[in-house]
Amino acid sequence: MRAILTVQNFVSDFVVTAWTPIFVGIFLAIVAYALWPRNQAAFDEASRLPLREE
Amino acid sequence: MNQVQSTKWMSHGEAGLAIFFSATAFLCLIAAAKALDTAFAFHAMLGLAVSLWAVFAIINRYFDRPFALPPQEINGRPNYNLGPIKFAAAISVFWGIAGFTVGLLIASQLAWPALNFDLPWTSFGRLRPLHTSAVIFAFGGNVLIATSFYVVQKTCRVRLAGDLAPWFVVLGYNFFILIAGTGYLLGVTQSKEYAEPEWYADLWLTIVWVTYLLVFLVTLIKRKEPHIYVANWFYLAFIVTIAVLHLGNNPALPVSVFGSKSYVVWGGVQDAMFQWWYGHNAVGFFLTAGFLAIMYYFIPKRAERPVYSYRLSIIHFWAIIFLYIWAGPHHLHYTALPDWAQTLGMTFSIMLWMPSWGGMINGLMTLSGAWDKLRTDPVLRMLVVSVAFYGMATFEGPLMSIKVVNSLSHYTDWTIGHVHSGALGWVGFVSFGALYCLIPWIWNRKGLYSLKLVNWHFWVATIGIVLYISAMWVSGILQGLMWRAYTSLGFLEYSFIESVEAMHPFYIIRATGGALYLIGALIMAYNLWMTVRVGDAEEVAPMSGSRPVALQPAE
Repeated sequence: MRAILTVQNFVSDFVVTAWTPIFVGIFLAIVAYALWPRNQAAFDEASRLPLREE
Repeated sequence: MNQVQSTKWMSHGEAGLAIFFSATAFLCLIAAAKALDTAFAFHAMLGLAVSLWAVFAIINRYFDRPFALPPQEINGRPNYNLGPIKFAAAISVFWGIAGFTVGLLIASQLAWPALNFDLPWTSFGRLRPLHTSAVIFAFGGNVLIATSFYVVQKTCRVRLAGDLAPWFVVLGYNFFILIAGTGYLLGVTQSKEYAEPEWYADLWLTIVWVTYLLVFLVTLIKRKEPHIYVANWFYLAFIVTIAVLHLGNNPALPVSVFGSKSYVVWGGVQDAMFQWWYGHNAVGFFLTAGFLAIMYYFIPKRAERPVYSYRLSIIHFWAIIFLYIWAGPHHLHYTALPDWAQTLGMTFSIMLWMPSWGGMINGLMTLSGAWDKLRTDPVLRMLVVSVAFYGMATFEGPLMSIKVVNSLSHYTDWTIGHVHSGALGWVGFVSFGALYCLIPWIWNRKGLYSLKLVNWHFWVATIGIVLYISAMWVSGILQGLMWRAYTSLGFLEYSFIESVEAMHPFYIIRATGGALYLIGALIMAYNLWMTVRVGDAEEVAPMSGSRPVALQPAE
């Protein structure tokens, strides 16, 4: 029981103190993905999706 | 494909739902018999009637239908499910007009209190939530359900998941609206803004909403198109977040399972915090994310151009997801809420300005290179002006969330003006634009009955909005200034009733604006009705400069 609580405390402490940098990191990764030059063609293709339908 | 079945069987869904509604009919009967208050008895009887009707409708549909369920594809093309969409689209027009009418009535009550008629059922306190729920959840909600079911099928190139499930979502949601609305008139309320329905209506909505999420998700999972178009991301964010908000804000213990009254599990400032976490994210994910999904599909379709920047759509989508959730405390400035939480809410609200304008820029710039269409196509103009109102309201919102500004604006009509520039201008106009596109598509008409009537709708409603919001700005700031005015001796300069008196002319102007907006919606209802009944009236005598009638491209 005590072991579980210790792990739980460790996890919650880590999440409480680290969620801001974690979320910022995830968001920056998304921005990088969106702006990555090699993805341009795929996004252009995706933006035409509604116009291609039957 | 064409398997010959020797025996006709009920599907699991049909049998299961028939049993489910038989059970709810039985439970409702017991609840009606043992009810502790009249409103609860009335709702139990409504539940009984609707459950019995549902059992009858399911069995009747089973006997009428062919052996096999509708095919997923016909001749290699998706067999789109349009029935539930037609229902939701049509009833959204009805709810819209009902909601605008009640809004006009309560606006008039504020100008002329005699219109409360000294009856409990028609008092401002009961009609106000009826108005807000009718326009947001009944009108807006049905537009969102109709368009989401349409867009997810079209952009995934696959038939909507489920046979009865989409009907369960559409009809079940409207039954929730009926319970909520009649409850308000009878005095049943949790007294939480935008979350007024009591525990039993909340439970029912939970079942309906989870089904909605499943229908949407399973349709996405079985898609034929490898990429999930951005509009579906916004719809999914809307559906998931509303589920979380609804469950988070509504835990309550009923006084008795046979009565309508319940008490919230946590009280005091925690309840206030939760309530506005819910309330503001309902603005963010119901009135913003959901309608941005409409923008991302219907503006490119109508303008026949791809969205301006797909990259921007990804970035501003995730920025909204990451930032919105902490904006709620700006509703509780200068209250018992801890100061740090208020400042945090303000900070997040200001940061929200960027992703909001990302969406606005993306919507507006989709027209880049085709601005002339604004002159020739009133439907597109309506859609684009809605995005302009979105930009304006999302600039004003962060401004009002700043504590110093809020100390002037809070509790005044400025808030009402702000909400309505978003609601009438953004949500209303983008919904009207979507309906003007959607109705001819799903009823397979070449075009609208009359574009001239759309033009009339646009201008009448726009003038209505301008009257409404400018009256509320002046009235709100006047109110705020009168409340904080001191004499040279340090006494308050005005009594409260003097500020009420000063509002009177603005309330009349506001009601006039609301009346114009309602007239616009009535014009739309007639136009859409005629579109379904007779189709495009201008097909016979095309307007000068319109597209050629002949040579429609074959699909």
